Amino acid sequence: MLSKIRLGIVAELLTSEWVAFSELQRALDASQGNLGAHLAKLVDAGYIEETKTFVNRRPLTQYRLTSQGRAAFVAHVAQLQSLLKETS
Amino acid sequence: MEEQLNAAQARDHIEMVARILEESQQRLCAGGEFFVVWGLFGALVTLLGHFVAKGALPATSLWAALVALAGAIVFSIWRGRALRMASERRSLLQREFFNVLWITIGMAFVANLAVFNIFRGIASAAIWNFADAIVLLYIGLHGNRRAQVAGVVVVVSLVVANFTSGDVPAYVLAAGVLAGYCGFGIAELVSPD
Repeated sequence: MLSKIRLGIVAELLTSEWVAFSELQRALDASQGNLGAHLAKLVDAGYIEETKTFVNRRPLTQYRLTSQGRAAFVAHVAQLQSLLKETS
Repeated sequence: MEEQLNAAQARDHIEMVARILEESQQRLCAGGEFFVVWGLFGALVTLLGHFVAKGALPATSLWAALVALAGAIVFSIWRGRALRMASERRSLLQREFFNVLWITIGMAFVANLAVFNIFRGIASAAIWNFADAIVLLYIGLHGNRRAQVAGVVVVVSLVVANFTSGDVPAYVLAAGVLAGYCGFGIAELVSPD
């Protein structure tokens, strides 16, 4: 979760039941390839889940945060905050 | 992992998270068409029940309520699926809202279908106004001013109906649902924000 875009993905998913790939791309202003690569890393880490369906014959890929991802996000933000405290 | 980040980067990341979370605190708004359909259903049931009780309509007219109920359910399922497929994000708040919506409407059904010896006559109609007011005020709690106003309209209809007699309570309750629930739905459809 060290990468800014991966942290952004998890933050986007934090208050949502699920978010589509296109919506994440719009929200994070990321390129398709870059976003896809970061999403794959988060899926591999077990932080998010991917669901692929078809809507009106078009593929729809949705992502949701896992409980493991939520816990990792909380721990990561706490570490960021402690880092800021130490340096201030 | 964090030792690889410096303080400026950490601050940047924290600010980004804060911004994303702040933007996600969206105003709760559900499809207006659901409110129109269920508002019409609520008003129909109230008026139908009243006219049957009054003898102005035969008891068999109550079948119209069941047909309307089936229509409203089928529409809600069909439209709900279509909206879900068309949307690109579903917030946890929306999920919570739909839980509240279905529990409230479900309890109104239970009161109408299984507790009719307690909620008789106009009380069974008033149950729908209670359910509608809870749903609207819940939406209102999440920053939707129209829903706040609409919820108050439905609550006022309940209070006014309580202090009137004869045919008036049924008309007031039906008007409350039409103005509050349907009116809110129409307002959301005409101008979503």
